[in-house]
Amino acid sequence: MTVQELYTELGGNYDDIMRRLRSERIARKFLLRFLEDKTFETLQQAVENGQQEEAFRAAHTLKGLSLNMGFPQLLDSSQKLTESVRTELTPEAASLLQTVAADYARTVEAIQALDAE
Amino acid sequence: MQKTDTMKETILVVDDSAMNREFLLDILEDKYKVIEAENGLQALEVLEEKGASISLVLLDIVMPEMDGFEVLVQMNQRGWMESIPVIMISSENAYDVIDKAYDLGVTDFINRPFDPNVVLHRVANTIMLYVKQRKLSDMVAEEIAKREKSNNLMISILSHIVEFRNGESGLHTLHIRIITEKLLRGLQKKSVISMSEEEISCISIASTLHDIGKLSISEEILNKPGKLTDEEFVIMKKHSSIGAEMLKGLKGEYNDPLLDRAYEISRWHHERYDGRGYPDGLAGDQIPISAQIVSIADVYDALTSERCYKKAFSHETAIEMIMAGKCGTFNPVLLECLQDISDELKYGI
Repeated sequence: MTVQELYTELGGNYDDIMRRLRSERIARKFLLRFLEDKTFETLQQAVENGQQEEAFRAAHTLKGLSLNMGFPQLLDSSQKLTESVRTELTPEAASLLQTVAADYARTVEAIQALDAE
Repeated sequence: MQKTDTMKETILVVDDSAMNREFLLDILEDKYKVIEAENGLQALEVLEEKGASISLVLLDIVMPEMDGFEVLVQMNQRGWMESIPVIMISSENAYDVIDKAYDLGVTDFINRPFDPNVVLHRVANTIMLYVKQRKLSDMVAEEIAKREKSNNLMISILSHIVEFRNGESGLHTLHIRIITEKLLRGLQKKSVISMSEEEISCISIASTLHDIGKLSISEEILNKPGKLTDEEFVIMKKHSSIGAEMLKGLKGEYNDPLLDRAYEISRWHHERYDGRGYPDGLAGDQIPISAQIVSIADVYDALTSERCYKKAFSHETAIEMIMAGKCGTFNPVLLECLQDISDELKYGI
């Protein structure tokens, strides 16, 4: 899969991301960097362990990364989760986390399917 | 032109997400030197250490340990916001968050996702604005210093003229000024007065004009070697009220605390705490503190200097005479201060 195909697959805007990350080379660099990022794992553990502050920070960071990386679905689910844990861990948090997990898995899968340069 | 590392401005990037910091690093590293901090506490440590060599802070809001808002509060408290601009970067787009950031003094607020060109332009503009502002405030400070210097010069010339005519050594007004300042600081230390540096400096400068009224006293009386007759002494004593009148004439034109202090000092520097001085026979705290201080400074310096009518007394004798009330009664707190600074006077002037 090319970078352009990846963004089509994830519903992102390829032209936007090219302007923001300036080149396919840099986009590829940050896509691969995203695989190493531990924010999702931190988020998952925090929600499961009932750590509200940690959960909020991680959800918020994941939302920010999705914005900058141009992942609209992961943005949408992580944004909802952010609001559901902003001041307390609401009952919806667990199910919203499932949606985030699914979107995250799809994103990771797509990145892993990128062609070698 | 490729900038070498030492020529580059330094930017502090504060974000708990390593990847977020990398986005910014990627955009900035060609043109700037970037220092990273993972949370608010680390950011404050870097600022504490590097001070104004940091040209700009890019600050995230949501962070562990200390969040971005608290960083701003701390920077305000420490007076750093004046010299170090902050641009906030966040995916928070609620208006109250943005308002709060601006209220705390950030220069700009950048939302995620950010465009690299926008970031670069805002960063460059903000740094340039602060560089210009710094240059401008340096220029203003320099101008003020220049003006103060020339003001001081004019006052020195004036008091020197008075001294010259009195046949006093050129050092009398300088001594008065030094002793006055020392006594003021002594009173400040005892918490008797609470004055700003500006007020202390104002009274010290005004003290040099205490004898300005002597310009209208004839030289025969001023420089008479022996004791003055009663008649001559009556004329001599007029110098304090005459000096005050001279200064009063300027008050309509210039409304300046220096004139007010100089007026008080000139008119009342021969008053005594028990009401037995001249010209108005004021007593106790009716006499402005400025005049009380200058009167004691004047007496000390007159005693320890040689004059046409007397030899110089030693420091010890002079202090003894003042403490014993040989030169009139002074405010007891001021006498205490005089003793406190006695060693400084003996060795310092």
